[in-house]
Amino acid sequence: LTSMASNMRSFEGSNFFRQRLILATLSGKAVKIKKIRSKDDDPGIRDFEASFIRLLDKLTNGSRIEVNETGTSMFYQPGLLPGGSIEHDCSLQRAIGYYLEALVCLAPFSKTPIHAVLRGITNDQIDPSVDQIKLSTFPILKKFLGTDEGLELKIIKRGAAPEGGGEVIFKCPTRQKLRPVQFTDPGKVKRIRGVAWATRVSPAVTNRMVDSVRSVLNQCLADIYIYTDHQKGSQSGKSPGFGLTLVAETTNGAFLTAELASNVKGSEAGPTVPEDLGKDAAKHLLKEIHRGGCVDSSSQSLAVLLMCLGQQDVSKILTGPLTPYTIQFLRHIKDFFGVTFKIETKSNKGTDDNEEDLNTGGDKLVLTCVGVGYTNLSKVIL
Amino acid sequence: MCKSHSSKEYDIYLQSYFQDNMDEDSRKPHRLRHSGPKADKKKAKNKHEQELTPQQRNPKAFAFHSVNKVAKSVKRTLDIHTKKTHIPEVDRTPVEPPPVVVAVVGPPKVGKTTLLSCLIKNFTKQKLTSVQGPVTIVSGKKRRLTFLECNNDVNSMIDVAKVADLVLLLIDASFGFEMETFEFLNICQVHGFPKIMGVLTHLDMFRNTKKLRKTKKRLKHRFWTEIYQGAKLFYLSGMVNGEYQKTEVHNLGRFISVMKFRPLHWRTTHPYLLADRMEDLTDPELIRQNAKCDRTVCLYGYVRGTHFKSNCNVHLPGAGDFSVKDISFLPDPCPLPERENRRSLNESERLIYAPMSGVGGIVYDKDAVYIDLGGSHSHTQQAVEEDAPINELVATMKNPMKTLEDKMATSELTLFKNAAPLTEADIHRMNLSGQQEEKTVADAVNGRDRRKAVFGENTDDEEDKDDDDDDEEDEDSDDEVGGDDEDTDGDEEQDETEEDFSKPGALKTEMFTRSAKKRKMDGEGENLAFADSDDDLEENFQLFTPVAEKKNTPRKQSNINSSSSSRGRGGGQHMDVEINYKADSETDSEMESTEIDDGVVEKKRKKRTKVSEQEQVTHRKGSREEKYGGLNDRIDEKQDSSDNECGEHVGNGAEDGSEEDEDDVEYQEKEDYDAREDNLNEESGLLRWKENIAEKASQSFLKNKQTNWRKIVYGHESEDYDGESEEEGEVGGLFKISKKKKDQRKGIDGFDCSRDATGQNQEWNIQELLESIQDCFVTGKWDKSEDAKALLDQDDDLYGAFEDLETGEVMEDHQQEDEEEEEDAEDGGGGEDKDVEKPKMKRDMTKEERKQKALDKRAEKKRKLKAMFDAEYDASGGGGEESFYDEWRSEMEQQAQLNRAEFENLDEDLRVQYEGFRPGLYVRVQLDNMPCEFIDHFDPTYPVILGALLSAEDTIGYVNLRVKKHRWHKKILKTKDPLIISLGWRRFQTIPLYSIQDHNMRQRLLKYTPEHMHCTASIWGPITPQGTGFLAVQTVAGTPDFRIAATGVVLELDKSVTVVKKLKLTGTPYKIYKKTAFIKGMFNSELEVSKFEGASIRAVSGIRGQIKKPVRTPEGAFRATFEDKLLLSDIVFVRTWYRVEVPKFYNPLTTLLFPLQQRSQWEGMKTLGQLKREKGIKAEANPDSSYKSIERKGRSFHPLVIPKHLQRDLPFKDKPKVATRQKDPVQAQRVAVVREPKERKVAELMKMLKTLHEHKMKQRRSQMRERAQQHEKDKRKIEMKRTEKQKVVKKQIYRVLGQIEKKKKRHEKE
Repeated sequence: LTSMASNMRSFEGSNFFRQRLILATLSGKAVKIKKIRSKDDDPGIRDFEASFIRLLDKLTNGSRIEVNETGTSMFYQPGLLPGGSIEHDCSLQRAIGYYLEALVCLAPFSKTPIHAVLRGITNDQIDPSVDQIKLSTFPILKKFLGTDEGLELKIIKRGAAPEGGGEVIFKCPTRQKLRPVQFTDPGKVKRIRGVAWATRVSPAVTNRMVDSVRSVLNQCLADIYIYTDHQKGSQSGKSPGFGLTLVAETTNGAFLTAELASNVKGSEAGPTVPEDLGKDAAKHLLKEIHRGGCVDSSSQSLAVLLMCLGQQDVSKILTGPLTPYTIQFLRHIKDFFGVTFKIETKSNKGTDDNEEDLNTGGDKLVLTCVGVGYTNLSKVIL
Repeated sequence: MCKSHSSKEYDIYLQSYFQDNMDEDSRKPHRLRHSGPKADKKKAKNKHEQELTPQQRNPKAFAFHSVNKVAKSVKRTLDIHTKKTHIPEVDRTPVEPPPVVVAVVGPPKVGKTTLLSCLIKNFTKQKLTSVQGPVTIVSGKKRRLTFLECNNDVNSMIDVAKVADLVLLLIDASFGFEMETFEFLNICQVHGFPKIMGVLTHLDMFRNTKKLRKTKKRLKHRFWTEIYQGAKLFYLSGMVNGEYQKTEVHNLGRFISVMKFRPLHWRTTHPYLLADRMEDLTDPELIRQNAKCDRTVCLYGYVRGTHFKSNCNVHLPGAGDFSVKDISFLPDPCPLPERENRRSLNESERLIYAPMSGVGGIVYDKDAVYIDLGGSHSHTQQAVEEDAPINELVATMKNPMKTLEDKMATSELTLFKNAAPLTEADIHRMNLSGQQEEKTVADAVNGRDRRKAVFGENTDDEEDKDDDDDDEEDEDSDDEVGGDDEDTDGDEEQDETEEDFSKPGALKTEMFTRSAKKRKMDGEGENLAFADSDDDLEENFQLFTPVAEKKNTPRKQSNINSSSSSRGRGGGQHMDVEINYKADSETDSEMESTEIDDGVVEKKRKKRTKVSEQEQVTHRKGSREEKYGGLNDRIDEKQDSSDNECGEHVGNGAEDGSEEDEDDVEYQEKEDYDAREDNLNEESGLLRWKENIAEKASQSFLKNKQTNWRKIVYGHESEDYDGESEEEGEVGGLFKISKKKKDQRKGIDGFDCSRDATGQNQEWNIQELLESIQDCFVTGKWDKSEDAKALLDQDDDLYGAFEDLETGEVMEDHQQEDEEEEEDAEDGGGGEDKDVEKPKMKRDMTKEERKQKALDKRAEKKRKLKAMFDAEYDASGGGGEESFYDEWRSEMEQQAQLNRAEFENLDEDLRVQYEGFRPGLYVRVQLDNMPCEFIDHFDPTYPVILGALLSAEDTIGYVNLRVKKHRWHKKILKTKDPLIISLGWRRFQTIPLYSIQDHNMRQRLLKYTPEHMHCTASIWGPITPQGTGFLAVQTVAGTPDFRIAATGVVLELDKSVTVVKKLKLTGTPYKIYKKTAFIKGMFNSELEVSKFEGASIRAVSGIRGQIKKPVRTPEGAFRATFEDKLLLSDIVFVRTWYRVEVPKFYNPLTTLLFPLQQRSQWEGMKTLGQLKREKGIKAEANPDSSYKSIERKGRSFHPLVIPKHLQRDLPFKDKPKVATRQKDPVQAQRVAVVREPKERKVAELMKMLKTLHEHKMKQRRSQMRERAQQHEKDKRKIEMKRTEKQKVVKKQIYRVLGQIEKKKKRHEKE
């Protein structure tokens, strides 16, 4: 056994599978997950989880992964992260985003910069798409890394939901230490950008989406530009689909994103109308702005993780209401790193009575924590 | 000069000298007075002062003369400047730092103990009889010191070097430096280099002062080379009555107490504890049953380094790794004095705390622990708090945090061992309210008894946590949780009390304020818990119930509150002695509290002095209630926590009671107020019910809005924050639980997705949404501080009137008037009367006055602007060049300030949760499963250090170190010889592999460490961050030699090793073509060969080649090509690299667990050489390597043969003169016959004739042979003919004969 003091964390159930394994890898603590869908008709880990485990195996050196026969329990003893180039064919049950979210958490702490090629579904309705990760997660990562030099997510091929066929390249630099971040003033939204993508459908679809988005968002801001990304041939994956990712950029460099993708081909819900999708996506963006904060809901968990892994300094971030995923993440962080976040509600109502209130959406939360002083143990220093 | 002269001569010399100078003396010039009254007088007369600087007066003197010189000087100043700059770091020193660890180190018999006791005596005026373990004292207003004596064991030297902030390195001057001194210095260097101060003792042994001075100088310079030039070396000149001289010790003490320290990297990143007290908490029964059972041990000490997290693992150097069972902070046993403006400490503030030496009330003996009870009076208290020493007790009594009544309310009594502790409230409940009891039972039936169980099982800490939760809620929900009375009240109450403190008129002693504060905090916390769940229920309830019923509810509430509060806070810290009395008091207070309508809240408000303020507040609150009231039910539904919290609501009935007494006077006032409040509530409640319907839709989007996030996140794990929980509230009762369970099950196998699905399905009108966020866009309204227009106005304010240059129009200073007004307002002080007076005042002012005023103001503005500019300019170092560094530094500064300020005002319990236990806190750490030897062989002279391990530092892996053999160590180190390494907190034995990096980054194994070079060592050991220093010793046992074998630093951590060793495979050719050869014997199979296809090979003769292809037979043979033709006798080899495994050997040194005698004699795994030496095993010699005498055969050489044609050409003198030797010895003896020419001719002719004859004969003979052969042939022919003839004849004869025979026979037959 490589651990000297009792160090194992045990959990039950398949939920928050990634969080547990990520945090185990970062903290070096072993994890045992039991009762994975033990009462389910189809017990044990699913394909996408198995694929995730395989990805983790590629990412780490010296880790021990044991899954029992039925797949209902697993043991993970983490190793170190060597980095380098990795290729992975993601399961088609989940999008690349599912894997990329985890990869983004681990990548800054590997020995050499990661160069990962992931294949699978780039956009679907469940997971954050690669566009969203690029638009929302990268700015956050940049805050903590200091620069975005070497940080890259390139969409080689786009693959819509059921069949996939997409391919992305993810590159991330490594860091010895992360910077503490104080980001509590998002400023105001100054522009809205977006990507309207379509694969294996008429190129007009993208324009229809863009028009409907503009019809909604033009009411509040004039600076809107939505890129149309219509892929052809081998770059368009195997399935038809289209979708929209929107990002609102604020004056202080916060990025709030929202996205929608069309229904899967042959789904019960029937085909999606591009105009409706555009409108709904715009609405989602408005909701996201309503939630507000310096971090949007999809990158909350990463921001929280990186705050916790900072130096032993106070980090502060303003967010909208926490998502269930983030809440569980916070609990797990407490479990693995012993870091408790101070969560204060910051009212949007003016502090003084005489001052008139600004309509800035819902209440915001200020998350404060002291970092654990995490250092990248894999990186070589000479 | 005079030394060489005799005295007489010297006299003469002097005389002559004076005579020479006689005449000069008479012309001695006047000397001006520079000081004294005369000079002053002169100065006063001459008032002229030089107003020009030298530069101005004489600019040429200051001009550049040489460009090179200037360039050099500029470069030099820049160099100096650059040298001074360091990478800025965040200053993380706490406000109240832990005591400085001062370690007294030195070889034996050098005077360590004496110095230590002298120092302690100097600081505390107490004399300790025996100093054991750390001694903490207060040395000044802002500094505490922990003295620690280091014994002469390498183990403790290493440990001490890891925690000491200042080292007093004692050196026996009469002896000089000893090995230990240098060893310790080297240990220090590796582990971060704390401050080191040398102290020379035994100086009184020198009789000869000159020798003393020389020795001092010599030692000083040697010391300097080891540390740095100018390192402080202290001299203790001698002993008086077995002690060092008082003044010298005092000076040393002064040095120590003003010394500044540099942060050391390892220590600023790792929390640690130097245990100054140890207790064994194991159940005596267990020990009785099994003396060797694992122990539960409590260690006490100040947290140092950085924040100590509660769940981290720790390493005890010398004992091993443990996980912290429990950690809690205690009141400081040796606190700094209160801030006062006195220069020195008084006698009572000179505290000393040394439990291991028996000062803190506990004496450790070999087999027992004695507790100093401090006289008969303290005995009872000792019984109550057994584990606290006297000093702590005194400290707590000196500044109590709670009033006596308070404490009594919280105290409890455990009747049975496993039962929940009984509190006064419980008793009260038993007596008073049977109804309440029923309720709890009902709860239990519902399955809510879990709450109670939690309390029963909870330790004090968990309860504390609960309290903290509440406190935190309070902070979070500052204004926005307007829906509930209690909450806002709590806040306002806080504000108000703060005001009180700030007022000079507030007649409260500090002690009281403290206790009040504490009480207030409790109260708030409790209130908040209340507000969180139950109160919401309450509120909702109020919405639907008639007013008459409402009156009852608060009373019930307060009942619940009081009971649960006391239960909650119990904690087992306080023993209940006087239950009866308390019960009485409780009932009283209870009664009183129930009388009041909204008891808890209103009573606090009553403290207010201004009624108007009060009203204002309530108004505000009311309005807020109107606004948000509608939300409450929703919140309630959403929070499934509400049912859990039910039992937790911690009210403060008891406090109410106590406060009631204080505020009797204002009772009437308060009642009035309550009545008003009630009315307001009623009205607002009705309004709310109707109004908020419209708002509901908009609020529903914000359903998370008023949730208590802290509770959601860090509350009970089972509470899953899901969309489903909304429905739960509506069902209620039994169904709730079953449903929840279902949810839970669903939760654990839920869909793992980061996207927030809860908000997505909400229907929402775009227009409303847009309206609610319209100010989120740049097009919306801006905050006053950011709004461009407002800022512009401000600028106008600042700069006033200006002239538009294009139009020539002069803009009037239109703001001026307003400003004046403002200023007036400021001056005026009064509220409304100021408005009335203003115009009048204005009129009164004359025009000139106004003008003057305006001028003044402008001047003032200018001055301010200039000051601002100056400040900025100075900050950036006079230009933009240094701005990067300065920016960086100021960033760090800001971060440091934020770090300090962020949690400063929080309650201690809560703060500890957020930050961990910050350095400077005195904590108690409980460790389970300690080996019993730790207790059995405990010796306070060995430091017990609790070093916390950061994440992943408690795992083991391969560690690559850069290592260099210490130049004073006598031997080089051998690969795979065990080595004891001190790395991080740990000391362990491991087996290193030494390697060196080749140019192509290959790690090549080395058999031995290089003599004077760094190399890499790979070990199997604890994962430790890169850049951490380490040192290695081969043995801890005392040897006369220098023990430190190597030092170095961690380079890299990995889970696999890449050290390789060279391996040459050889083979021989068995068939050779031109440049191709077939080689066998290198590999064993075709597979092996195919792995090496393309590998370069080489023959011993230096011919290079390449492996091409395996061949069938013989097995393992292959075809190879070379650059030239091989010889069959060549040997061919391929150079390969073989990965070497690092042995997985990690053996932590458990010196603290050994008996005392064995500690310094510990011997772990032995080296191979050691073992062989002990067992007398000699290495088996390779017979090939042994010497054999060389036998050489004499060589016979062939004769020199000179070819004939060469011989022919040679001149005679060089021709070989040696006659050819005859073979026949007889012939050789014959005399040579020399013929005459005629004879020769004859002989020749004869010879010719003979030859002719011979030839003729030869021919004849051959002819004859031919003839003979022919003849033979003919004869054979004839013969053949004849035989044929004969055959025919014979045939005829036989035929005839046969016929005759036949005839005969026929005749006979016939």
